[in-house]
Amino acid sequence: MTEPGVVFVIDDDESVRDAVTNLLESVNLRACAFGSTEEFFRRGRPSTSCCLVLDMQLPGTTGLQFQQSLQRAGIEIPIVFITAYGDVPTAMRAVKAGALEFLTKPFQKQDLLSAVYRGLQRDRDVLLARAENADLYQRFSELTNREVEVMHLVAEGLSNKEIAWKLDLSEPTVKIHRGRVMQKMQANTLPDLVRMSDRLK
Amino acid sequence: MISSQSTYLENARPESRLSLSQAIAQRCVKVISAVGPVFLRYGAAVLFVGIAFGLTLALQRYFPYPFLFFFFGAVIASAWFGRSGPGFLSVVFSTVLVDYFFVPPVHSFSISPASEAYFGAFVVCALIASWISSSKKMTEQALLQARDELEQRVSERSAALMKTQGELAHLSRMLSMAELTASIVHEIGQPLTGVVTNGQACLEWLSADPPNADKARRSADSIVRDGTRAGAVLHRIRALFHKGPPEKEWLNINDSIEEVMVVVRDEARRRNVRIHTYLGHDLPKVRIDRVQLQQVILNLMVNAMDAMNDSGAEDRRVFLVSQRNRHEEIVVRVEDCGAGLHPELCEKIFEPFFTTKPHGIGVGLSISRSIVESHNGQIRAFSRPQGGTTLEFTVPITTRDVDD
Repeated sequence: MTEPGVVFVIDDDESVRDAVTNLLESVNLRACAFGSTEEFFRRGRPSTSCCLVLDMQLPGTTGLQFQQSLQRAGIEIPIVFITAYGDVPTAMRAVKAGALEFLTKPFQKQDLLSAVYRGLQRDRDVLLARAENADLYQRFSELTNREVEVMHLVAEGLSNKEIAWKLDLSEPTVKIHRGRVMQKMQANTLPDLVRMSDRLK
Repeated sequence: MISSQSTYLENARPESRLSLSQAIAQRCVKVISAVGPVFLRYGAAVLFVGIAFGLTLALQRYFPYPFLFFFFGAVIASAWFGRSGPGFLSVVFSTVLVDYFFVPPVHSFSISPASEAYFGAFVVCALIASWISSSKKMTEQALLQARDELEQRVSERSAALMKTQGELAHLSRMLSMAELTASIVHEIGQPLTGVVTNGQACLEWLSADPPNADKARRSADSIVRDGTRAGAVLHRIRALFHKGPPEKEWLNINDSIEEVMVVVRDEARRRNVRIHTYLGHDLPKVRIDRVQLQQVILNLMVNAMDAMNDSGAEDRRVFLVSQRNRHEEIVVRVEDCGAGLHPELCEKIFEPFFTTKPHGIGVGLSISRSIVESHNGQIRAFSRPQGGTTLEFTVPITTRDVDD
């Protein structure tokens, strides 16, 4: 594991909060507990990978409501719900809204840990993809307008000749632009560039 | 050794004699009660006639005509005590005695023609007196018997009613507890989760290389703490479910309120309702049935929370107040911020099977009222001026018992 990540635990019950934290720490995970959603909001999510173990019954709100308010605030974080009174409709709604797992207390260690590991992995993937995207946008922003046009046409599968005709340029000029695009976008092959163009859309 | 034996014998002898005489006495009572009534009734008739005869003999010399009023008395008394049989016997006896001793010619069973009408009137009057007396006695006895039967039936019915009411109260308690199932499950599930999870963590700490004894011990401490907590919750909930005869004890009402709040508080959290409690200081103890009064408080609290669910009120607060008022009563008041109550319904909501809830049965408040009234208190409902409903009940501080 390259990066252990942080598991946040939100439960208003001290027994559960301490116990879950204790269990996570016993398997060498970093855990951080909060008694209320406000405390967690104040801190916000870190830029490293993380995952949230969230109680369904919270003072003044429910886990589902908090899940929605996180989404509205644009905070993306994998959530493992834990509840003392699990009913199927609530579980369905939680999972439909993107929850990883819906565990009924008292839960088994394996169930919690596997959900948490999955959460951390998913978050890592998301962070990685986002970092790559950011990098891509950075490179893309360095292209000139003409190079952007050439890149899109190349990605559409047009030949140099066709591009030259379309943009009213000479074929050697298109060749030069194309070379610059490949170089600036750090694309080794044509399929690479096509993929990048797709992602930018 | 010997002396002790002799004292034993001395002690034993009178005892055995006593038991023998007791047995004989019991035997006698049995025989008398079996044969006695008939024997006594007819004996009394003979005795009454005898007394009348003696008195008449003594007084006859002062009267110029046969003085027979004592015989009427004897007949009436015999018929009264012995009813028709002994009454008739006394009539026959009296007739024979009167004929022989008092109707001329005296000391003979023959009757002079002048006395025939007089004697005939006596016999007829005696028969009528006997009949009236015995029938009156019979009516009275039938009346008494009917009254006894009625009394017994009333007591049987009221016992059955009490039992039904007790069962209904228990049912309604079960119903209100059923509504709180989620909260109860939560209340027990939390510490139980702590136990299981800490136990698993403890095993992890122990199987680490090297084992982390300090962390393992702390996990075990947490297990003990959470397990104890779960047990305490269970104990309190079982007390709420408790089914048994009403038991009144001297209690501080605030303690009972606190116990109910264990389940209510959590339910409130689930329903996103905030509960504000203002429990009066130094409230005197009152003689109450804890389980029953807790049921009333539970009913009122659940109703208050329901009231705000129904109206979708913005202000989701419930106030629970206990205090002492000027009339030497303890008042427990539950206020909600719901839609309020129509004045016409203020009395109606306490009627059995009246409900405003879509799935309600309408027994909660009627049971609550009967419980409060069995504590000599009152329960009432009214709208709050600032919106919402107030339900309050009183318990007199000097509680005399209604049912004791």
